[in-house]
Amino acid sequence: MDREDSRQLFHMAIGVCAIAVLLFLGRGFLLAGVFFTIIIGTLLMNMRLLGTKIALVQWFEERFERKHVPLPGWGSACYATGALVAASFLTDTGQIAAVLLMLGIGDGISTMIGRRGKIRLPYNEKKTIEGMLAMFISSLAAWYFIGDLAVPLALVAALAESIPRLDDNLTVPIACTALLLVIG
Amino acid sequence: MDSITALALSVDSPVLKVMGLFLDDALAYGAVVVGLVLLGESRNDKRLKILASLLVAVLAVGTVKYAMAYERPCAGEEWCPEGYSFPSMHAVVAFALMTGFLNKRIYPLFLVFALFVSFTRLNLGVHLFRDIAGALPIALVSYYLTDIVWREKDGS
Repeated sequence: MDREDSRQLFHMAIGVCAIAVLLFLGRGFLLAGVFFTIIIGTLLMNMRLLGTKIALVQWFEERFERKHVPLPGWGSACYATGALVAASFLTDTGQIAAVLLMLGIGDGISTMIGRRGKIRLPYNEKKTIEGMLAMFISSLAAWYFIGDLAVPLALVAALAESIPRLDDNLTVPIACTALLLVIG
Repeated sequence: MDSITALALSVDSPVLKVMGLFLDDALAYGAVVVGLVLLGESRNDKRLKILASLLVAVLAVGTVKYAMAYERPCAGEEWCPEGYSFPSMHAVVAFALMTGFLNKRIYPLFLVFALFVSFTRLNLGVHLFRDIAGALPIALVSYYLTDIVWREKDGS
């Protein structure tokens, strides 16, 4: 298992934790937890940008953060922001859980399979058709939370995840949340 | 009502109320924000970028407010501001402003300013915590999108 696979497993574990917080402690706890995590996270990003060495943060970066990211902690910041979009805009617990599942687990599985894929997307050379399919199929697990709505939602999630240049930790939850607000 | 909003509402300080009411005025708040941009950043290009991100954030919030159409918690009271509650315009502007200074030593001051502005909105009773929480991702995404456009403009 290489660093990227470890990163995706951690990504999925965080998704599971977020869903657990939502289901067992409620939307309010999730909202507050993610909000203050981002606030503290931006402070840590600022300190890293200014060259401050923080042992725990550096350990985390070495093991889980991608190289060549715009900012230290970029992936985590986008992930948390995406989760906050879902938790703040949506009020239905099932819908929030569905988006978190797609963001955390769907995206994680999609990356693990997609990076081993062979057929590149015509509009995004960094992503593969195998990854996109994996995103769609794994996102269908949201059926547990929202029933048949999971099908169009999984399709939107797979398409949003493939958009070039934009971070999929933002595009997936934003697109899914927007769809749920319209049709949910 | 959530416990964070209730806690903020329970703080009964005349000084905080006056500051909150001052910032509640759109013109005064706008002047403070522009002043902070000019004081905090000396490079004109970066100033323009931050102001552009604030504009994007304001436009985004305006759209979302009318799309979601959540009434304010004070709706029906004479003193309650007009307009919808979610998300907080003041908080979005403060968080977007804060993001513009992420790589600066003075960032903690802007973070405190953003949290203070958010607190005053809760303390005045014109917003709930969910309005503040919803403001943060809008601010961050607005700055992110502005940054992408700015980099394209600069050719990097």
